[in-house]
Amino acid sequence: MQKTYMAKKEDAGATFAREWYVVDATDQPLGRLASKLATVLQGKHKPTYTPHFDVGDYVVVINADRVKLTGKKWDQKVYYRHSGYIGHLKEIPYRTLRARHPALPVRLAVRRMLPKNKLGRRMLRKLKIYSGPDHPHQAQTPQPLEL
Amino acid sequence: MRVPGGTKHSRRRRKVLAQSKGFKGKRRNCYRIAKQSVIKAFLHQYQARRLRKRDMRRLWTMRVGAAARSHGLSYSKLMGGLRRADVRVNRKMLADLAVHDPQAFEELAAVARESLEV
Repeated sequence: MQKTYMAKKEDAGATFAREWYVVDATDQPLGRLASKLATVLQGKHKPTYTPHFDVGDYVVVINADRVKLTGKKWDQKVYYRHSGYIGHLKEIPYRTLRARHPALPVRLAVRRMLPKNKLGRRMLRKLKIYSGPDHPHQAQTPQPLEL
Repeated sequence: MRVPGGTKHSRRRRKVLAQSKGFKGKRRNCYRIAKQSVIKAFLHQYQARRLRKRDMRRLWTMRVGAAARSHGLSYSKLMGGLRRADVRVNRKMLADLAVHDPQAFEELAAVARESLEV
């Protein structure tokens, strides 16, 4: 029986390539943007997709502070995290989080869509987020990613 | 009368312990616990051989879907189109073509698209 192709480290650049993409997040709905980014980071848009291996591309996000929230989420969206101690569920409204870290909402949204394991954390490292229109990855000549 | 079973007894045990190689902690060397884990391990093996077939089919489906999208078709449109055109290439081969022979896949995608337009 013929074996199904599984991506390997040695195949990088041969059977699959790790591309660089750039996305302008201005006025993109946060969740829709994040799900697209998660797909690309995982490599699920490629026929070489392999569940136990990272075949995904790099994505540079610019203007990450200008993502759009639909509905009333601007006022109502709250981020929760629990420290593990009783009564220590922290709540941070979107507005506060964004004021403190303008680009963090995008990162959080994508992180929560990626697999929660070592591979997922490695995939997240390929996501470069910047709040302004500039990024220091000109050398990689990232291509615009269509959404 | 008590039946002393020296060699038989130790052989039986060695057989189990040989199969528990690579297990963790007492599961490797302690006969009582090793026996249980070996039984469980065989059960998992059996289940995994069957699961593998399903997992692989799901993987092919994902790959074919990804390839179809790069040709402007969704997975269901592609499969529907191929069916209508009476192309009987299975998912495994489609996924393989998408990786190793993108041109052939593109032609198949074109066939699917044509048959949908009619």
